[in-house]
Amino acid sequence: MLAYIVRRLFAGGILLVAMSMITFILFFAIPSDPAQFACGKNCSLAQRAQVRKGLGYDKPVAVQWENFAVGVFKGRDYPDDKSLAKSAPQLIAHCAAPCLGYSRVNLQTVTQEFKQRIPVSASLALAAFLMWIIGGIGLGALAAVWKGTIIDRGVVGISLVFYAFPTFFVGLFLLKYLAIKWQVFPVPSYISIADGGLWNWFVNLILPALTLALFYMAGYVRMTRAFVLESMSEDYLRTAKAKGLAPRKILYKHTMRAALTPLVTMAGLDLAGLLGGAVITESVFNYNGLGKLVVDSVITFDLPTVVGLVLLLGAFVIVANIIVDILYALIDPRVRVG
Amino acid sequence: MSQSESQMERLDTADMVDVVDPEAVLGKSPTQLALGRFRRDKLSMVSFVVVAVYTIGALLAPLLVKIGFLKPELQHQNLLNVSLGSIPKTHFGGASWSHPLGVVPGTGVDVMSRLWYGITFSLTIALAASLVAIVIGTVLGIVSGFAGGIVDAVIGRLVDLTLSFPQTLMLLALSSAGVVACAKFLPGSASDPLANGFYEVLVLGLFGWPPITRLIRGQVLTIREREFVEAARLFGASKGRIYFKEILPNLWAPVLVSFTLTMPAYISAEAALSYLGVGIHPPTPTLGNVLTDSINYSVADFSYFFYPALLIAIVVVSFNLLGDGLRDALDPKADR
Amino acid sequence: MASYRKKALALVAAASMATALAACGSGGGSSNSGTKAGATGGTLTYYIKAALEHTDPQRTYVGRDITDWSRTVYRQLVTFPVSDDPTTATTPVPDLATNTGTSSDSAKTWQFTIRPGVTWQDGKAITCADFKYGASRPFATDVVTGGPNYILTYLDIPIDSKTGLPIYTGPYKSSAAGTAAFNKAITCAGNTITYHFKKSWPDFPLAIAALHMMDPYRQDKDQGDKSNYQIFSNGPYELQGTWDKETGGTFVRNPNYKASSDTTGSRKALPNKIIFNIGKTSETIADQLIADSGPDKAAVTGQSIPPSYYSQITGSVASRAASVVSPYTDYAVINFKRITNVKVREAIAASTNDTGWVTAGGGAKSFKEAHDIVNPAVKGYQPDLYPAGAGDPAKSKQLLQEAGVKTPYPLTFTYPSSDTMDKQAAALKQGWEAGGFKVTLEGVADQDTYYTNIQAPAQKDDVIWAGWGADWPSAITVTAPLFDSRPNLTPSSNGQDYGGYKSSAFNALVDQAQGSSDLDAQTKYLQQADQVLAKDVAYVPLDTQIFYMLRGSDVTGYKTDAASNSYPDLGVIGVK
Repeated sequence: MLAYIVRRLFAGGILLVAMSMITFILFFAIPSDPAQFACGKNCSLAQRAQVRKGLGYDKPVAVQWENFAVGVFKGRDYPDDKSLAKSAPQLIAHCAAPCLGYSRVNLQTVTQEFKQRIPVSASLALAAFLMWIIGGIGLGALAAVWKGTIIDRGVVGISLVFYAFPTFFVGLFLLKYLAIKWQVFPVPSYISIADGGLWNWFVNLILPALTLALFYMAGYVRMTRAFVLESMSEDYLRTAKAKGLAPRKILYKHTMRAALTPLVTMAGLDLAGLLGGAVITESVFNYNGLGKLVVDSVITFDLPTVVGLVLLLGAFVIVANIIVDILYALIDPRVRVG
Repeated sequence: MSQSESQMERLDTADMVDVVDPEAVLGKSPTQLALGRFRRDKLSMVSFVVVAVYTIGALLAPLLVKIGFLKPELQHQNLLNVSLGSIPKTHFGGASWSHPLGVVPGTGVDVMSRLWYGITFSLTIALAASLVAIVIGTVLGIVSGFAGGIVDAVIGRLVDLTLSFPQTLMLLALSSAGVVACAKFLPGSASDPLANGFYEVLVLGLFGWPPITRLIRGQVLTIREREFVEAARLFGASKGRIYFKEILPNLWAPVLVSFTLTMPAYISAEAALSYLGVGIHPPTPTLGNVLTDSINYSVADFSYFFYPALLIAIVVVSFNLLGDGLRDALDPKADR
Repeated sequence: MASYRKKALALVAAASMATALAACGSGGGSSNSGTKAGATGGTLTYYIKAALEHTDPQRTYVGRDITDWSRTVYRQLVTFPVSDDPTTATTPVPDLATNTGTSSDSAKTWQFTIRPGVTWQDGKAITCADFKYGASRPFATDVVTGGPNYILTYLDIPIDSKTGLPIYTGPYKSSAAGTAAFNKAITCAGNTITYHFKKSWPDFPLAIAALHMMDPYRQDKDQGDKSNYQIFSNGPYELQGTWDKETGGTFVRNPNYKASSDTTGSRKALPNKIIFNIGKTSETIADQLIADSGPDKAAVTGQSIPPSYYSQITGSVASRAASVVSPYTDYAVINFKRITNVKVREAIAASTNDTGWVTAGGGAKSFKEAHDIVNPAVKGYQPDLYPAGAGDPAKSKQLLQEAGVKTPYPLTFTYPSSDTMDKQAAALKQGWEAGGFKVTLEGVADQDTYYTNIQAPAQKDDVIWAGWGADWPSAITVTAPLFDSRPNLTPSSNGQDYGGYKSSAFNALVDQAQGSSDLDAQTKYLQQADQVLAKDVAYVPLDTQIFYMLRGSDVTGYKTDAASNSYPDLGVIGVK
């Protein structure tokens, strides 16, 4: 098992290196000019060239990538200008290892940005995750048990409707009516547990988390329902039924366990994706998590942040895959690792 | 859009779990049996009819625009109340016999025309992106499953790599440059709907294939071991014959189901991307860009706010139910 | 919330040249000073949609930020006072200086005396050296970016022929010769600071009142780019903690500010606390201010109400909304490389459906049809330069016939795409097509590079949208920077002369205007220059933006004036 994990982690590391290279090549090929953005509109060509040099975008892509890779292990100085370091050392920003880059837009190292944003996205993802797992599995099982009845149809139908309306539509609707018009909830703005306590943290999370949960729930309702139905028809269940076990017991003890394996896979990957930020929900509710950072960094041509985000979000997915595989093996002994 | 994407992946994972079951595709049940089952399922039939109506509507729209029945660009600003932010003067979004769904605030363009023609563009984008994903996914899946060994391993890593890229981020970050690049190979300029649509299709498709590859690869591996393939092998059938005559025909079911489930995911994705400012923008209508414009009119012009979202929701639900129905029909076990 | 597109649009507005002054007197519907002056105390919330790109005084170039900082944290040598009278509000009054400056050598030398007793937030006196240091910062063009850089072209420092920039390269890193030249150009004698320019700058006091480029800066606080979001105050408020780019910041009273040292009468500083809240969309801000509950009762905003909300501005909500004409003008330039026939250009102007453009943009509460690229509030405005209106397709067709071109004449129009702009462009298209053109719309989705793209000399579009606000209330900051071919046109860029317009008659008039040390004579030359532009149809004015902003019910003394660039004037606003 350990050897397996080590091997998977190693492969994941190689994947990340490949991703960083591809990202650099892709963004170097982009004709847009981050220096133009940094320089503003009222900026002559000469000034723009100076800014480009200051940002380090005048170097060939291989050199830029190499500087990046070295920075990850050794740290870097921004701007990397020896004479400036001598004449005005207070201008130099040091980015300590592991340095993923320095955002000239946010005046922070990319690592600092991530440190600020990850708790926001993680809170949101976790709250949403709990909502949709509890809601999705509960309602899905309910629908399966009452298969064919009005309850079944109602649950499946309503969850599908929420899935079908685009997230930004549902999110804006919740924000506008539940928070602003009827004031059932506060207008959400992220408050950390340290700043506002558990309650404030939670209350402010409800609406954005609900937006996400309503969207994800549909899939879980339908999947749980399908698994439960399928598992209920498996032979051992038939035997259990024949032995006279109560249907509820069958559901809890046998069916759910069988359905758990694929659900874990799905839930793990969904959660990993969400940890990387919900671009639209965070934008709608003005939550400064990783998802909003995605949008902001793209708008402001903040390449170091964009590159850092690609790697961070990639790492989430890679690690989640490994964890899911391990869980998979733990839940279902039939699955062999390696 | 990240959400819709992961939604799509999830649906595909669902396929894997369900359809990978060999019985599903192998079918002791011939196509007719499946069709019969499908016809008996009322919900699936309704969703099939809805999808068919959308499809026929989408096909007809360009014709109707040409003959002037639909006018997705003609403005009637005289129908607007300039002192109230140029919203329609009359109730129900300014609905009348000539504009049954009302007119667009600001321009006074017929809402029905924009939505109807918008369905054409939205479905085209979703269809093209699905095709890209499915063709790449299927081909790589078959190759991977058949070849095994190093080819399989390489494709497997390619799948991992593609899945690891945050696609929303890439789609946004590359959009301006990507559209310009697409425009180079196409007639028209970078702001042409063709270039924007092409970019959208390409990126959605290029990030969408890995789950399908995994699914098809699994299918191929399973089928390879089935009795009838063994039998064919024992009878000395050539490899090519086994692949083309015995295995390929058994792949259409998962491919079809994948297709009906990627379609709604891409229709939603188009809407989400419009909201983020990527994709085709007006005057060419899509369901997404009409919705993005209408979203703020929930109070001022409720009908304009409501119709685009409703049309998207209906088509997304219908495609999903259709996909479910197809899967159930092709999988006799689900009937039990 | 901030969708990608909406934020991007905000950036265009910011980048589209910020500031300016305007009067409200001339237009708008409701009153611009809606409530009675209030008492001291309370917390005011100021909602802003998009992140500020800079809070560094030398890098601030957005009209809203300039006025916000002027009233709260960054005092200037001279400043514009709060006043309902547009002329008073755009006439500088002494602030950190004891007078409004004395000029000599035909306005090539300017001298100010710094007021005694003015201090920074840490209690240290503001010195002449601080002003000089502040003025030196824009020369570090690779560090202090994004701000106005007039000083680079005016200050008497030789130009380096290699880079085309002054030989002085800022306080962080410069050659000895450069530093020496700078030390000669700005001199300190006790409390008196003297600026030496290469050319006449008769409206220099206007320029430094309208912008923060010449503000004092404390050398020991300067960390270059790292100071971008640092706010070191000398005004009535100071920043509590740090400025967060994504969420804003909170300002509390500056204990070291002495009201007695401030004779402007424009910094009443009524609220005890001002919170800048960044990141909500215009729609959410409008929703919250309409709902008017909790802290939103004591809130103002810099965002206009979106047209989709106009129908909700009725009854008591309407009494909390104010509408003023802003200093910002939008116009379309015609590409002279592509449309060389003046008759065709006249036809474009004749068939421009300005009424449709305004209607599509939300109607009379969003935009006012424009007759001149010069804003109505700016000296030199000519109300009859262009007819505006719905356009005259028949005249356009006739002009095209006179031009002897084949109709429908193909025409492309490029503009930054957004929900509203797409509709407005469609309205223009319909008008032009009625006038004998066949129009292709080129909506540019990537708004941040919009101006870069239209500056390209190879720009292939025929008609190009652009927006402008005068940097200070003089037409010399409008037509001259936009149409003088000499500073603009280079082989690699059209600069701000997007249409590649080139006219010796126009340039000569600009020279005469710049050469005159008398403001009235200057205005006369500029008006003639604008007439040349109109005759050549170098541009077609489209609209003057209207600011239509809501406030909470507990806000007192609400005012928007020419001095505040038509944004809420924090100098007099208080809360109940």
